[in-house]
Amino acid sequence: MLITHTHTHTHVSTMDRECASLLPSVCEVLADSGRSVPDDTSLEKLLDWFTGLTEAGGSLLEACPCLLKFISTVVHNTASDPGVLSFTLRLTGLMAATEDGFKMLQERSVLNQVFNLQHWQEAGLWDDPCLRIGWIQGLRSTLQHPKALSFFVQSDFIDPLLQLQTDTSLFVASAANQMLAHILLFFQKVSSAGSNGVNKKEEDLEPPAITMETSAEYSAVVKGISEYLKESLIPKENTKLHQSLQILKLLALLLAQAGPPLRDKLLQTVTESLEELVTAGCSQLTLPLMDVILAANSSSCPDGRVPGQRVARILSSMLSINNAADLCHAAAALLRRGHHDTVHTARAVRILLLPLDIITGPTLLGTNTTADEHLFSVVEQLKSKTSCISMICVCLTNTPQITLTPPGVLPCPPVLIVTAVVSLLRICSGSSSSSSTGCSEVCRNVIGSGKVQKCALEALTALNSSPGAKEKISEVFTILIQYLDNPDSDPTVLHKSYQALVKWIRVCTDLSLITDQLRQDLVEVVKKRACDMRWEVRDSTVEFLGHLAGVHVSVTLGEEVCDASEALLGGCCTTPLLKEALQDTESYVRASAISALAKTLTHSWQQGAALTEDQTEIVSRLLEILSQDTEGFPRRAVVQYFISWFFSRSSHSPPSSSTSSTSLLMQCVRTVLSQGSADLDWEVKVHTLELAELLLDQAFSAHRGYRKGSDAHCALQHPYGVVSDQAYTLHTHTGTHAEGVQSDLARVVEQGVISALLSGLVDCDRPVALKACRLLITLRETICPLSLGALDATAAMATVSCELLGKGWGQEITKILGMEKSDRALETDISAQRSFSGADGGGDSVTVSEVLRSLSLDERLEVLTQSSDHIHNSPLSLLQDILTASAAHTHPDTKPGQEVIVDCY
Amino acid sequence: MKLYCLSGHPTLPCNVLKFKSTTIMLDCGLDTTSVLNFLPLPLVHSPRLSKLPSWVCKDGTINLEKRELLDLSTIDVILISNYHCMMALPYITEHTGFTGTVYATEPTLQIGRLLMEELVKFMERVPKAQSATCWKNKEIQRMLPGPLKDAVDVWTWKRSYSMQEVNSALSKVQLVGYSQKVELFGAVQVSPLSSGYSLGSSNWIIQSHHEKVAYVSGSSLLTTHPQPMDQSSLKNSDVLILTGLTQMPTANPDGMLGEFCSNLAMTIRAGGNVLVPCYSSGVIYDLLECLYQFIESANLGTTPFYFISPVANSSLEFSQIFAEWLCHNKQSKVYLPEPPFPHAELIQTNKLKHYPSIHGDFSSEFRQPCVVFTGHPSLRFGDVVHFMELWGKSGLNTIIFTEPDFSYLDALAPYQPLAMKCVYCPIDTRLNFHQVSKLLKEVQPLHVVCPEQYTQPPLTQSHRSDLMLELQPPPMPYRRCSVLNLPFRRRYERVYILPELANSLVPSEIKPGVSMATVSAVLHSKDNKHTLQVMPPSKKRKRVMEEPPVVLAPKPLLSGAVPLEAFLATLQKHGITEVKVEETADGHILHLQADDTLIQLEEDGTHIVCDNNEPLRTTLRDLVLRFLQKL
Repeated sequence: MLITHTHTHTHVSTMDRECASLLPSVCEVLADSGRSVPDDTSLEKLLDWFTGLTEAGGSLLEACPCLLKFISTVVHNTASDPGVLSFTLRLTGLMAATEDGFKMLQERSVLNQVFNLQHWQEAGLWDDPCLRIGWIQGLRSTLQHPKALSFFVQSDFIDPLLQLQTDTSLFVASAANQMLAHILLFFQKVSSAGSNGVNKKEEDLEPPAITMETSAEYSAVVKGISEYLKESLIPKENTKLHQSLQILKLLALLLAQAGPPLRDKLLQTVTESLEELVTAGCSQLTLPLMDVILAANSSSCPDGRVPGQRVARILSSMLSINNAADLCHAAAALLRRGHHDTVHTARAVRILLLPLDIITGPTLLGTNTTADEHLFSVVEQLKSKTSCISMICVCLTNTPQITLTPPGVLPCPPVLIVTAVVSLLRICSGSSSSSSTGCSEVCRNVIGSGKVQKCALEALTALNSSPGAKEKISEVFTILIQYLDNPDSDPTVLHKSYQALVKWIRVCTDLSLITDQLRQDLVEVVKKRACDMRWEVRDSTVEFLGHLAGVHVSVTLGEEVCDASEALLGGCCTTPLLKEALQDTESYVRASAISALAKTLTHSWQQGAALTEDQTEIVSRLLEILSQDTEGFPRRAVVQYFISWFFSRSSHSPPSSSTSSTSLLMQCVRTVLSQGSADLDWEVKVHTLELAELLLDQAFSAHRGYRKGSDAHCALQHPYGVVSDQAYTLHTHTGTHAEGVQSDLARVVEQGVISALLSGLVDCDRPVALKACRLLITLRETICPLSLGALDATAAMATVSCELLGKGWGQEITKILGMEKSDRALETDISAQRSFSGADGGGDSVTVSEVLRSLSLDERLEVLTQSSDHIHNSPLSLLQDILTASAAHTHPDTKPGQEVIVDCY
Repeated sequence: MKLYCLSGHPTLPCNVLKFKSTTIMLDCGLDTTSVLNFLPLPLVHSPRLSKLPSWVCKDGTINLEKRELLDLSTIDVILISNYHCMMALPYITEHTGFTGTVYATEPTLQIGRLLMEELVKFMERVPKAQSATCWKNKEIQRMLPGPLKDAVDVWTWKRSYSMQEVNSALSKVQLVGYSQKVELFGAVQVSPLSSGYSLGSSNWIIQSHHEKVAYVSGSSLLTTHPQPMDQSSLKNSDVLILTGLTQMPTANPDGMLGEFCSNLAMTIRAGGNVLVPCYSSGVIYDLLECLYQFIESANLGTTPFYFISPVANSSLEFSQIFAEWLCHNKQSKVYLPEPPFPHAELIQTNKLKHYPSIHGDFSSEFRQPCVVFTGHPSLRFGDVVHFMELWGKSGLNTIIFTEPDFSYLDALAPYQPLAMKCVYCPIDTRLNFHQVSKLLKEVQPLHVVCPEQYTQPPLTQSHRSDLMLELQPPPMPYRRCSVLNLPFRRRYERVYILPELANSLVPSEIKPGVSMATVSAVLHSKDNKHTLQVMPPSKKRKRVMEEPPVVLAPKPLLSGAVPLEAFLATLQKHGITEVKVEETADGHILHLQADDTLIQLEEDGTHIVCDNNEPLRTTLRDLVLRFLQKL
């Protein structure tokens, strides 16, 4: 939290004069209980601002002495708004965070007043959670130095704080927990320094004055808290789980971060209670308890010390609790932690595999499943539908993790787990019976369950990387195709089946493993799903075709590589289906079809293959979509299609040949740029500018001083990426450079790049304008380099001009140019003005270099870079807001804070 | 109460309920699967079909699931639940001496008539030169080839009925509306409830004053065109007879509909034709509605849809006029200028065309690729035979089976080898096992009677224990020819008391809130109505010269119990002291040793065994009576 504030408020690290002058009146408003604050968030913002100021090193007390008066006024006025009181408590904490501040506040006995519990309780304000949280957070900010600790201990705040840990308000309870953890963790080094007096050097960051007194105080705090933890960990009644839960959370927090002395101390105190809690077998506490045990276990060193062994024992008993569902969760938690102790991991693996084993038939755990003493309880749990589904899902989610455990830990080869998941999928679809007898009662619970199907498919997808997966590929394909074919599969299940299929195709190094029958089935099912009634399914299908085209496989071992869609579906299937999908009624499907087509054709573009009739047809359809489609998605996809075409076009094919796809591409680019930049959708416009950027890159990357904008993403794909180094060799041939640039510029203008950029610049969507502005600046730096004898270059460049339309963006640009011109009219040639100002209707021609220099691009860039709400977010406007709101609310009838009641701590 | 089960087919039931002196037939479905044993009846001479060697031609007969379990002429009423379950009606009502009434809703009657008419037309359109029956002789049948040799009960197969028989049978139908109560001989009341399966489809409640039998036939909880199922009225039944669950428990109708659409679109896009063999009413309305939405999104706008049936026009039009039988959504459309079903719009825009047969207009307007809906789903008769011959040879075409009544492989057998693509997406919207177990949990009948097929998983999927009924107490299964004694005893009968008689009664309270009175009256029973009337004055009888009945004042009725301790004390007071008390299972035996007398005190009686000592007996009797109340 705090870190983000420093980032957002760096520019206000010192208070400017205007704010300082407003602050006293703001304080007055806030302190006046009769006047209202605009809303709760303004107080938060104010506090954020103060935090920023403090962290930047400023002293609030020095900068705003009025705050002190504000604090004492508010604290003494019991009629103050609880929100303002809470704010005041936190502000005080903030000011006392430094030792100097603390000293000063203590001297004026402000601290005692502000954090005086009794005062708040007597005033009846303590019942407001808002105040309680202010108290906790204020104290927490203060507790940054030993003096504060002394204050805390001497005021006997530890007991109230422990009480707050089980507060009725979740926010308060959680804040109290954080606070307790903070005290113990923050001062732990203090204690170790105090107790043995060594390692002082390492504690440079710690406050200097570490006295024996501090150490004693800290020990008292540790003792108090750990005693409390020990006492209250076991729930007295089943209804008082809340406290145990809170303590477990705190313990997990502490154990994860505590150093050895504190950790050992804590463990010594609570181990017994933990043991008791494990045997109590309380379902709701299983997961938090497991967190604590795992944190304890991973932090305790494996040196065989007594606490370590005890923790390991607790972990063992946790992995043999009676409730099967809890056991699964505990085992899953252990695996998720990436625990390395083989005994426990092996145990957890067995626990998680058992339900799968029961449902799919005893293959995973061998014949000695009877040895799993909880077998009976698991079977019983699995007979209930809800717990069966939830347990199986937990098991499935963890199967990929299980296959990654070391071979000694696994009770079976990893490939058997793949088999089990496949059989489970079969059972789920109702197509197969379990081979084990007597659990049809369990199987019927998963038949047709979409949730289990989804989990199993996810697991299967992730299992593609498990050892030995390759031998299962045909089986996996069979079940996935069956799922794709199943009329009852819901769209998500189909989507996941497709995903799994793509992942598994990557597994096989050659496709000879997949029989012709399977391929034929796949073709049939894909064709069918492309005609599905549900657009989600059509969309997934089209997407799948695209992904497939992106996977490269060899048809038989060692043979030439081709994309998977050709290898699996045969060439004749993909493109016709995608072409059909371009006509789809759903815009998402059209968009996906366009992207999939781009992926499918990438290979042939790279090869520079001759243009097919299909491709020409597709291109004309795409241009139609760009100009006519009513939805944004397909139009965006069209522009991206041309971008990826541009990327992957072959550099070898002669651009002049009319049959090459590159020549068609260059023909289209002009249309795409003009249509795309006139689009209503800002993303289409941004994509269009990306295409323009590529064209600029192509034109100028060979020229000195050009910073390629797309370098980041095309370093490898671009054939002329390397040329940019050579550009410097052209350095001396100024004339050649200028001429080269000139012809390139002319081409770029002819392609419509400049028009696209200029129209983008005056666009009302900030991202569009920003992108265009950056590109224009890059272009300006290339064609009007300041270092190059500006006149020379400009003279050559002056011949390249572009048209400005009389309407829309052209008019806009003309207007800007006109204003710029009139500003400079006094200094420069008046005759030049004519070329800019005559734009009343017909359109006008302007010199590109002139335009670039006259648009004040740098100023524009600065404005555009600032976020659109930068004005409204300034501290000044915040202070003004508070003042205005209070002025508006001084009407006697309105009570403060009545309209917005937000639970915002 | 007995149930005679004439059909073992779970979805084409025919049961007879004998209840309170009435004989009620519940449905009379016609199982036509026996036609699969015969060759198709081509509309146009087919050299191929006529040359097929191992298939027996001739004789278009139909199987009727019925046995001489009971005399059909004794049936009082027939309750029809939907038009599919009335196809055997002419066989029951004609030439059997049937004199009763048939109850059905209007759409059931009208659409049932259409289906019968279609069946008859299909048969009569292609008259056969000869007919043969001798082959049914067991000796000859044994020598026949193929599956026919093994067919059982071929003697029950009958010739198709005629239009005249249909008309005569349907003239016995009396129309009823949902929840309308029909009195049968004053004994029971029957009432149809909406079952949600098809237009006018109903479940029936058969109840007397104290008993309620629910008959659930084809029902559906899906939102399709018909009015939704009325579940609440089924509550509190003593017996629920459950038939007509889905024949395709593993095929979810939504999934099948999706399958239907995508296969249709796939075929059309590839330039092929789609043939949908279907009944001319029912699911076809939903298919057309679904396609209406789908053809837009699948860009099939120009593909023509043909619906060919002798009753196509009537079926499409009837569906639009039965507004009150439609689901709420469609009902509300009746008040708008648009028809409830969108197929009207398809017809208007010329996307859907209907013809009575392939002859005539159709042949001139026929355009390919197209989608044809036509009957009969068995592929043995009707216009579908022609399209099978026409399109079967091309792999571009697809036949999509949507009716679940026939095995598609058997239906296709005479057309093999077939290049045409076959897709089986049976759409059966009737209740599945999951829905029915939920329904039964809700309505809680005391007993459930169902076909035995529902009590075990389907034969082909014996591992699917989820595809069967599991109830507590377990359902009573029936099979063909079963006679079940329904497991409840009638314990009460309602009897009316005339006001003047009631006025003369003198009730006395026997315990708080319960009063009793003795009644002397004449019980009068007529039309299953029982009335207690005042006894006529004896004068009247004298006049008709009858023996005057000995009218004795009725003895008072005793009630109460004799408390042992108090009784002993009373005995002692009356000088009977030597009493030996013996405890028995039902009470006590008091042995008065001095008098050699026994008093048996039991819960429902007291006996005094006392020989030759009448004074003692009367004393004892009076002592006992002191403790009892007299009425």
